[in-house]
Amino acid sequence: MNVPLTKGAVEALCKGLDVDKPVLQLLNIRQISNASGPPRFRLMMSDGQHSLTSCLLATQLNYLSDENLLVPNCVCLLKKTVNNTLADGRRVVVVMDMDILKSAEEAGGKIGNPTPYNTDGSFTGQAPMKASPMKASPMKASPMKASPMKASPMKASPMKASAIKASPSKGLTVKVSPMKASPMKANSASPGSSAKVIPIASLNPYQSKWTIRARVTNKSSIRTWSNSRGEGKLFSFEIVDESGEIRITAFNKEVDKFFSLVEQGKVYYISKATLKPANKQYTTLKNDYEMTLHAHSSIVPCDDNQSIPTVHCDFVPIAELENRDKDAIIDVIGICKSAEDVSRITTKNSREVSKRALSIIDQTGKVVTVTLWGEEAENFDGSTQPVVAIKGARLSDFGGRSLSALFSSTVMVNPDIPQAFRLRAWYDREGFAINSQSLTETRSAGTGLNVNWKTLSDIKNEDMGHGEKAQYFSCVATVLYIRKENCLYQACPSADCNKKVIDQQNGLYRCEKCNREFPNFKYRLLLSANLADFGDNQWVTCFQETAEALLGHSAETLGHLRDTDEAAFDEVFQKANFTTHIFKNRVKLETYNDESRVKVTVMEVQPVDHREYSRRLLQNIYKLAR
Amino acid sequence: MASLLDASKPRINCSMLSQHIGRGVCFVGRVEKVHPTGKTFSVSDGEGKSATVELNEPLEEELSGIVEVIGMVSSKGVITSTTYNILREDKGIPFDLELYNEALKVIHDFPQYYPFEVAASG
Repeated sequence: MNVPLTKGAVEALCKGLDVDKPVLQLLNIRQISNASGPPRFRLMMSDGQHSLTSCLLATQLNYLSDENLLVPNCVCLLKKTVNNTLADGRRVVVVMDMDILKSAEEAGGKIGNPTPYNTDGSFTGQAPMKASPMKASPMKASPMKASPMKASPMKASPMKASAIKASPSKGLTVKVSPMKASPMKANSASPGSSAKVIPIASLNPYQSKWTIRARVTNKSSIRTWSNSRGEGKLFSFEIVDESGEIRITAFNKEVDKFFSLVEQGKVYYISKATLKPANKQYTTLKNDYEMTLHAHSSIVPCDDNQSIPTVHCDFVPIAELENRDKDAIIDVIGICKSAEDVSRITTKNSREVSKRALSIIDQTGKVVTVTLWGEEAENFDGSTQPVVAIKGARLSDFGGRSLSALFSSTVMVNPDIPQAFRLRAWYDREGFAINSQSLTETRSAGTGLNVNWKTLSDIKNEDMGHGEKAQYFSCVATVLYIRKENCLYQACPSADCNKKVIDQQNGLYRCEKCNREFPNFKYRLLLSANLADFGDNQWVTCFQETAEALLGHSAETLGHLRDTDEAAFDEVFQKANFTTHIFKNRVKLETYNDESRVKVTVMEVQPVDHREYSRRLLQNIYKLAR
Repeated sequence: MASLLDASKPRINCSMLSQHIGRGVCFVGRVEKVHPTGKTFSVSDGEGKSATVELNEPLEEELSGIVEVIGMVSSKGVITSTTYNILREDKGIPFDLELYNEALKVIHDFPQYYPFEVAASG
């Protein structure tokens, strides 16, 4: 019994129209060798009237061929197809799902007398299809087989343009289509007509005609760059719809075109942009791709936005920030308890940037410092203790734990979301009174690093310095004794060279490093001091700067004093004894001629800030008391 | 009252006054109001509460800022001062009264770690 084929289906498919479950007969199936990835099968389908050769089998259906179900003359029901248009205008139908209704034997032969319905150049049953931009005639079978080029990319030419190593074939001008390896990734609904909206989750680089409808959740400011390759400007924004999110970037001309049009919180129809794999370095959105706008991109505001969710935020409670890794991208929401004034600092690249630090607290009772930059810092007003929500801030271990707004972060003040209202209510009721604990410790003057406070007994107890890398720590300690002998050495007078010079005994001093002789030298200090606290004592080494800080005199003065007034020289050392300071140290296990010793070097000496020290001690006591 | 100066004088704030009646104490606080006679003045502690200090002889100088008063607590909760120190604000680091109060609480919460009594009597 003959199952009727869906007449007119081929014509419809060729015209790019959707056909609902057409029944077609398979006339021919050929494997296209694929440079990389699974093999692809090309089908020649017939509806009894016309035949269609530009049909591809989606790779997930490869098993049909492997199991010999797809035999020429079998009748199939195409349950799902995707119609794609290549850059050069040709259409390809990808069969995403099909059922075999009748095997070849049952069908009993070719049904009807189908003629090829191909709008794109000649079709000869056996020869592989050639891309139309190629001059069809000179390019028959021979150059393909003879050419030194890898034959496979040539056969698959319309699909595989990129794999073609261009030149060797004569007269071949293959337009590289945006399609890369396998054009038809097993993807979703056909954007047959451009008015149809597809979900963000189904966007991929291999579909060129699509429209999405989404809300802008996060819009960055315009950023300019200037590097060795040139300069430019860009801005980026993130959009969300029911299926997911994706990041969009616009460069140079598109910045001018779209920056004022795109507003955060509004919904737009977007179509015709380039999709490419996401650069995870710049975004944390869960999408494998990201989008770049180009000259033909279109963004149209949309009024119908009830179904699109608003900002997609995954807020982390502040107390939990301690458990997150450094450099993680986090969303956070809290009440701004206090905000510092905006300050201007100069970055390493000698650029001036504004910054402002705020303290935010949430229901966990913990506080963390958030740093805002640039315009956001300047415009921020924390006087009303607003709810501040930040999407995409970076967590750092600066001062323990702190957050920094990135270029791509969005800072929302008093946002219109339920968590904000809950926070406000909590804060007004009880939050304002909490004596909260900040995860960002008060930064002691100058140091930008996480201060690692230890006591001297910790050095031995924790085997500090035994690892591969040196360890740094700070401690409060008292000087017990400083060695007077060999505290000074004669160093090379050239700037930046501190190597000890050799006294040639002829009035000249030789520096081995500079390979020169000098008539003079400069005195440099190298102290061996013994520090102690309640727990332990420790011999440490102090170089020039820290030594001068400890003794309160320059190396030159001391050198001079040693030669002239010994009593005064001794006095300097006596005065330094039993003074207490904050020492920032570097500890490392060093091996010298088979002997390993833990060596401690003082990097910095600071006077004890008693108030800060007391607060720290009190905090430690409270922690221990719990 | 020389014996007073030999005995231990725990540091207290206003809330602890009642527990030290009849004993020698050391009280640090900010001078609030000085009575016109100069024989008494009020001080406030780190928590903001006030206490009164009585002197044997009237004040000979202007009293302001933070003072450390050593004396005995009377049954009425007034400190009868034998001597006092002014912690001058123009010298050194300004005294943080709130921080001092925190430390005071710790000392009293954990007397086992702060055996001042033993040290004084020895």
